[in-house]
Amino acid sequence: MMTNTNQAPAKRHMGMKALNRASNSVIYILLVIISVVWLIPFIFIVLQSFRVESTYQVGYVIPKQWGFDNYIRLWNTDFKKWYLNTFIIAVAAAVLQTIIVLCMSYTLSRFRFKMRGPLMRFMLILGMFPGMLTMIILYRVLSDLGLTQTNAVPGLILVTVASSGMGYYVSKGFFDTISKSLDEAARVDGATRLQVLYKIILPLAKPIVIYTVLTGFMGPWGDYVFARYVAMGTSSGYNVAVGMYSWLTNDQIANYYTTFCAGGVIVALPVTILFMCLQKYYVEGVTGGAVKG
Amino acid sequence: MASVKLTKVKKIYDNKVVAVHDFDLEIKDKEFVVFVGPSGCGKSTTLRMIAGLEDISEGTVEIDGEVVNDLQPKDRGIAMVFQNYALYPHMTVYDNIAFSLRLSKTPEDVVYEKVTKAAEVLGITEYLTRKPRALSGGQRQRVAIGRAMVRDSKVFLMDEPLSNLDAKLRNQMRAEIILLRQKLDTTFIYVTHDQTEAMTLGDRIVIMKDGFIMQVGTPQEVFDMPDNLFVAGFIGAPQMNFINTELVCENGKYFVTPFGVKLPVEGEKAEMLAKRNVKSRKIVLGVRPEHITLAKEGAAAIPCSLLVNEMMGSELHLHVSTEDETALIVRVPTLNLDAKERASLTNGCKLNITFEGKAMHFFDPETEENLLVK
Amino acid sequence: MKQYSGLEILRLSKWQRFLYKLASFFAAIPHAIAGFFKRIWGSIKGAGLKVANECRDIVSAFVHGDYKTKISYFIMGFGNMARGQVLRGIMFLLFEAVFIFYMVTTGGYWLSMLGTLGVQGPTKTYDPVFDTYVTQYNDNSFKILLYGVLTIFFIIAFIYTWRVNIRQNQIAEKIQASGKKLKSGKDDLRSLVDDQFHKTLLALPLTGILIFTVLPIVFMILVAFTNYDGAHNGFSNNLFTWVGLDNFNTLLSWTGGKGGTQSYSATFGEILSWTLIWAFFATFSNYFLGMFVAMMINKKGIRLKKMWRTILVLTIAIPQFISLLYVSKMFAQNGLINLMLTDLGWIKQPLPFWTDPTWARITVILINVWIGIPHLMLIVTGILMNIPADLYESARIDGANAWQQYQKITLPYMLFVTGPYLLTSFTGNMNNFNVIYLLTGGGPTNAAASGAAGSVGHTDLLITWLFKITTGAESQYYLASVVGILVFIVVALISLVVYSVLPSIKNEEDFQ
Repeated sequence: MMTNTNQAPAKRHMGMKALNRASNSVIYILLVIISVVWLIPFIFIVLQSFRVESTYQVGYVIPKQWGFDNYIRLWNTDFKKWYLNTFIIAVAAAVLQTIIVLCMSYTLSRFRFKMRGPLMRFMLILGMFPGMLTMIILYRVLSDLGLTQTNAVPGLILVTVASSGMGYYVSKGFFDTISKSLDEAARVDGATRLQVLYKIILPLAKPIVIYTVLTGFMGPWGDYVFARYVAMGTSSGYNVAVGMYSWLTNDQIANYYTTFCAGGVIVALPVTILFMCLQKYYVEGVTGGAVKG
Repeated sequence: MASVKLTKVKKIYDNKVVAVHDFDLEIKDKEFVVFVGPSGCGKSTTLRMIAGLEDISEGTVEIDGEVVNDLQPKDRGIAMVFQNYALYPHMTVYDNIAFSLRLSKTPEDVVYEKVTKAAEVLGITEYLTRKPRALSGGQRQRVAIGRAMVRDSKVFLMDEPLSNLDAKLRNQMRAEIILLRQKLDTTFIYVTHDQTEAMTLGDRIVIMKDGFIMQVGTPQEVFDMPDNLFVAGFIGAPQMNFINTELVCENGKYFVTPFGVKLPVEGEKAEMLAKRNVKSRKIVLGVRPEHITLAKEGAAAIPCSLLVNEMMGSELHLHVSTEDETALIVRVPTLNLDAKERASLTNGCKLNITFEGKAMHFFDPETEENLLVK
Repeated sequence: MKQYSGLEILRLSKWQRFLYKLASFFAAIPHAIAGFFKRIWGSIKGAGLKVANECRDIVSAFVHGDYKTKISYFIMGFGNMARGQVLRGIMFLLFEAVFIFYMVTTGGYWLSMLGTLGVQGPTKTYDPVFDTYVTQYNDNSFKILLYGVLTIFFIIAFIYTWRVNIRQNQIAEKIQASGKKLKSGKDDLRSLVDDQFHKTLLALPLTGILIFTVLPIVFMILVAFTNYDGAHNGFSNNLFTWVGLDNFNTLLSWTGGKGGTQSYSATFGEILSWTLIWAFFATFSNYFLGMFVAMMINKKGIRLKKMWRTILVLTIAIPQFISLLYVSKMFAQNGLINLMLTDLGWIKQPLPFWTDPTWARITVILINVWIGIPHLMLIVTGILMNIPADLYESARIDGANAWQQYQKITLPYMLFVTGPYLLTSFTGNMNNFNVIYLLTGGGPTNAAASGAAGSVGHTDLLITWLFKITTGAESQYYLASVVGILVFIVVALISLVVYSVLPSIKNEEDFQ
């Protein structure tokens, strides 16, 4: 092989270059196609949200008559209530869930106590049960506590946050990458474990804290099934997913299709902007999590 | 400024692996003790048990007469330097060094005084406002030492502090640690896998293997009279040559018969053999490379051929092979050879070597113990 | 089977080696299963021994202990208080008091009813004054089961605390005998932020998991052995009660359902196999296509890397229900695509994206690719950057072309690093409720399965079926929990097999 390359380096070089250029152009074409396919539905949503002439699905994309009618119409539905519900849940989940997840993952990463192994195995097994199963009972318990239907928001927060300790994997993986000798040095220097956590580890764990907050915030925007269960047909307890789903049922879609598009834009905008700003941390968390398992 | 006493200290991990067996040692006040051994011998584990970073499975650790088994690291009056420096990456050098002082609520002007003084001693004043990642390895190591210095601790623990540095820096830092020790005047416990560091730094060396102490002694003691084959092989570079052979006692005189050549045992070693009334027996003979000499014409000598000639500057390391293909290393000072002799030492050439009778070591092939100890 | 030694195997060809490994894998299964049961038996025996030891220990501590220890057997925390550890003592005593109070007031009732789940359903009495029937609610099966389980949890916690209380007495006796001081309440509090900090940190998360995950799961497992459904809600209509294994019999029976429809087991089998097919395609199509896209963007010489990546990442940010619902409607009979194609005159009939079983299944998988690729692209990009460049350089010097480099370096490395991720994403896809439910709602309806509860569709996964069972008019909760348990068993089995295979992958291709 070695001799092969040495025989005619110049010619081979030229061939490689041409080949490279050809394959690169193929890649560019593919990337453009991919980008179009991936973006088109979202462009369609935006375009259709400005359509005034009809509210149902049509066979063209560009509105014949542009206007904000659909957005104005949103204002007159329960949408603003749903939006507020979701926003409250998202903020609460982002804060509380982050605290819980960090407590859990920091402990499992740093402390070696007797029950650590069994605990992690137990949670792995728990995770294999379909979460859906617990809904039936949680719904009854929440309704006994008066936290369903009109009070769905606190109920949903409670349920979302309470079991969030199970999702410790990603941030534990991150904590594992922070050298343990930092903890040890700090403890020798006179820090208690609590001080180690907030003086040394948390400042270093900024990326994963942001990741956890971001995922905690984004989760509730797409939460459908449990939110529907808890709200149980009471519109004022819906979140955006449940509410907007009700617009696309067969008897509603003709009236609400373009309204749905407008709502989609309003929902997606803040989340997307936030996400794009914090993208770096999200990418870090996702890749780290997959590598650590 | 404290003594450290370990009594029957044992470390058993959860998986029942015993990392340290019945470790007994008394370290005097202001003594510099080095734990040395190959990786996995339990030296770091022992140090970490003294520091309180590792639970003590059995036995007791006393610092200044107080049992510290159940104390947290911060309450043991120790300072520690870690192998990978363990500097807090988000703090400046100043904050790193000041960290422990601030935790103990020292007034800021005292903190300032102590930190700048330590920085001055270590020559890192100009880096005080930088973050650790902007420093070189040697500078980071100094910061780590500085952080330990300001703690005014009773015992100074160092866990392989030089092993992440390159060879040149390591030599330099070694000298600085000796100076530091003179300035701090406190008890040091130092862990390393490098026997040179152990020899040059320690008042006493603790040589460990597989969780057992193999020998405790001053550098001179462990070099001159290694307790067993392991210590003999571990201390000294290049390594001691070992030859399976016989010890012969004839009319009160002792001989060894390596490769069928009869060589006399002389001096103190012969006296010690006689005093212990050692009979003729099988032994493992140990000879350091520097105690093998090129034989003069006519003297009793072992013929061998040269495999590799390593030129080290002030000396030559000759890797030779005897007739039964035993490999030996011979260390010859370059000064002892003239240019012609040096030129004749080409690979494959024939050599005659002999051992110095007063520098031989005798080990039991079964127990691997030195015959002259105990 | 012929056994090859370590080196002999190297002489076999690639296929022979593969077959050999495959054969040895299957040959090892009986042994592994035997080992598994042996281990279970061992741990049962170990647990038995432990309990026996504990009991002996408890008795001997009572016999040999001083009076403080002895009294602590009945009045928890007495020893602590008598020895000056007032804080601990009060905590113990308080716990005991609460426990006894709870058991006497309500716990005893729940526990005694657990065997029957209630005897007296709601009764109606005639109220002559208002001339109406007044319903009086009596036992509540749901609460009996729920609080019964909770009471059992509480009893276990009490026994454990009681044991801790005794052990602390033993330890305290020993410490005092050796002349040392015991920890004071202040020390205890301080240790909660220091050497016992993990307990502080875990208290909240674990309580949440216990109440909102463990308790419901235990409850739902028990429901599988009852007849809890819409008609037996245990409260306002009929009580529900234990029915043994009847529900498992129903689901796994081979006989046909109502009105000559196919049996439950056939329906279950159909859904299970589609679930597995779906999980397989959803996982691996995303994995390989995502890797492909990531490698295209990462290729040397491709410009605007950041832009391509951002375009894909953008789609992650948009809440899934919007994109899924929108796309679902886009492909509907009267959706954008069909309307467009009709307007263009390319088709006469709308394409049956959601109405034909096969079309629906393929469309679902394709849309899932659309959803999943950006995620995979991100993950793969991160890992690709971690592959040491010298691996590729040495491969190129050895004469490997691009495809060989992919096959021999990139792919094994990726598989090695993402092995556990693949497993979780496979099981995650098995339970991928959102994609299926929001896209198809499980449809198109499977007429043959109409005898089964919930209107079963051709794209229904077990998880969506489970959901449908609980939401229908009949709400057969008992059936849903049987399905849930079966889902658990399938997921656990797959995980067990994969985990037993994973270490061997690690040994073979050690990149670390």
